Amino acid sequence: MKVLIIEDEPSLNKAMVDYLHHQQYLCESVSTFHDALEKTEIYQYDCIVLDLMLPGGSGLELLRQLKANQKSEGVIIISARNELDDKLTGLQLGADDYLTKPFHLPELSARIAAIIRRKNLQGNTVIRFEELEVDVQAKTVKVQGTEISLTRKEYELLLYFLVNKNRVLSKDAIASHLWGDDADLAENLDFIYTHVKNLRKKLLQYGAGDYIHSIYGMGYKFSIK
Amino acid sequence: MKLFSRYNRINIAASIIVFVVGSVAFYVVLRAVLLKQLDASLRTEQTEIISYVQMHNKLPEVVNAYNQQITYVVTNKLQPGTIYYSEKATDPDSNEMEWMRKLAFDIKVADKNYRATITKSQVETEDLLQLVIIVGAGMIALILLAGYVINRMVIKRLWKPFYKTVEEVEQYQLAKQQALQLPVSGVSEFDLLNHRLISMTDRAQQDYQVVKEFSANAAHEMQTPLAVIRTHIEALMQDENVLQHHDKSIQTIGQSVNRLTRLNHDLLLLARIENGQFPLQEKIDLDKIILQKTDELAELLASKRITLQMQLTPVYISCNAHLAEVIVNNLLNNAIRYNKDGGIIKIELTSHQLTISNTSLLPALEKEKVSQRFYRHPDTKADGNGLGLSIVKQVCAVTGYTLQYDYHQGLHIFSITL
Repeated sequence: MKVLIIEDEPSLNKAMVDYLHHQQYLCESVSTFHDALEKTEIYQYDCIVLDLMLPGGSGLELLRQLKANQKSEGVIIISARNELDDKLTGLQLGADDYLTKPFHLPELSARIAAIIRRKNLQGNTVIRFEELEVDVQAKTVKVQGTEISLTRKEYELLLYFLVNKNRVLSKDAIASHLWGDDADLAENLDFIYTHVKNLRKKLLQYGAGDYIHSIYGMGYKFSIK
Repeated sequence: MKLFSRYNRINIAASIIVFVVGSVAFYVVLRAVLLKQLDASLRTEQTEIISYVQMHNKLPEVVNAYNQQITYVVTNKLQPGTIYYSEKATDPDSNEMEWMRKLAFDIKVADKNYRATITKSQVETEDLLQLVIIVGAGMIALILLAGYVINRMVIKRLWKPFYKTVEEVEQYQLAKQQALQLPVSGVSEFDLLNHRLISMTDRAQQDYQVVKEFSANAAHEMQTPLAVIRTHIEALMQDENVLQHHDKSIQTIGQSVNRLTRLNHDLLLLARIENGQFPLQEKIDLDKIILQKTDELAELLASKRITLQMQLTPVYISCNAHLAEVIVNNLLNNAIRYNKDGGIIKIELTSHQLTISNTSLLPALEKEKVSQRFYRHPDTKADGNGLGLSIVKQVCAVTGYTLQYDYHQGLHIFSITL
């Protein structure tokens, strides 16, 4: 999977590239409008992460040109501007998603995964991890071929873990993924524990491995180890 | 006291003084002129008598004509000169005491000295003067009355531009970002006032804009560094070695970034609401929004063992969906955040009012401070940033709703009048 990161803040750009690289994405990154235009004209990507304020031009303008050139890449806008207008314009121009800075890297990864899944809907819609199978279209989860029933939150949590496997996910990142940015109540952090505990119990119950690991009380990691 | 009344008082006083002084002067001058005339006619008589005496060497016969008498009295000594004087005497015509003008002179007729006195009634002069004074007083009264009537009728119209300006200024709100519209009155004072007011409000508007843009821009500018910090923390978290030794630090930094992000988000939201960036014409089922929010918060309510009592009637309002959610969200979040374990939250929705009340360990809050930015009760341990209610209040300001706080029998009551 090829991802192009267009972001002019070097340290942010690098952090995104590093994180996505670990998620088995092939990442390329540029930091100016013109470099971005050049890259997108020559190469084909699965997803483009686009900052709106770029040296040399606006991200929205770049998006306009992409769509004018009939490019089929999924586009996720990341912007410091949480303006409704920008968001609407971006989505109207054909962006697939909009993420406001500061975001959680696992969230970005989850959104990119979702966009790529949507783009390839005709193809494989099943995510596999060892004996786990998640059909993102039917929203079903199977362990060794047996379907198990999860609550909505548990399902979302599992999907989030799967697209961010082998990474340490902070409780904050998980909370904002499950409840959105509006729910800021610290108490939500305690529910993560409950949901994770229940999910883990169900997976174990149906014979899946113990993949969810608590990390120093600050978060969780989904991995084989 | 109205400017006009004050002006009128001065005007009336001045007019009266001017008229009184003027009348007195007029009286004095007129009297002098009339007496001079009277004296001239007396002198004519005197000349006639003298020339008669010279011609005939005897006194003319006394013919007392209408309001004129001549008397001759024999005197011992002949005094030269003529004396004019006024004296009260009985008027033979009317038999009343009247002012009489007299001219007296001594004349020698056939070796005898006579004192001749010619008397003319001053009544006519006095009558004339009286008339002049009556007319004068009448004039004063008439002019004052006319002035009063004219002022009454005209003053309102003259001051109309002024009251128009006052009205406009009263309705003017900086936050609405509308320029002050004042009509040209054609009266230079009012136009000057309007001109200055307009340029003043324009300047205030510009300054306000700068301040507002500054806070919005500052909040925007903070987003990227926040994103950098957060992403790097998350990158650091992937390193087992770092985690092992610095898990607490990483957690603390992460939490602080969250608080800053939250604060930033709220400040930006405030700025956007102030800027009127939310269209208000969307049709919304307020009861559905409340049901949706309480549903989302059910888990949280259960964990704090809070009982929710809802009385909702279907309410359809014209507002902005996001802003309506913000109101419900912030009020409910507060009701949960500052509630006590096993407490109660009551939600009542009628066609004109939304009331959310909650139990709490906190005593009654200060009404004026409740919706102030960054105000939090000093005893609270909850982690709000003190912007929730200011945001609700700001939403109310743009939507025309009102937010009210009351404390009654242990319940903190927040009501929005729709």
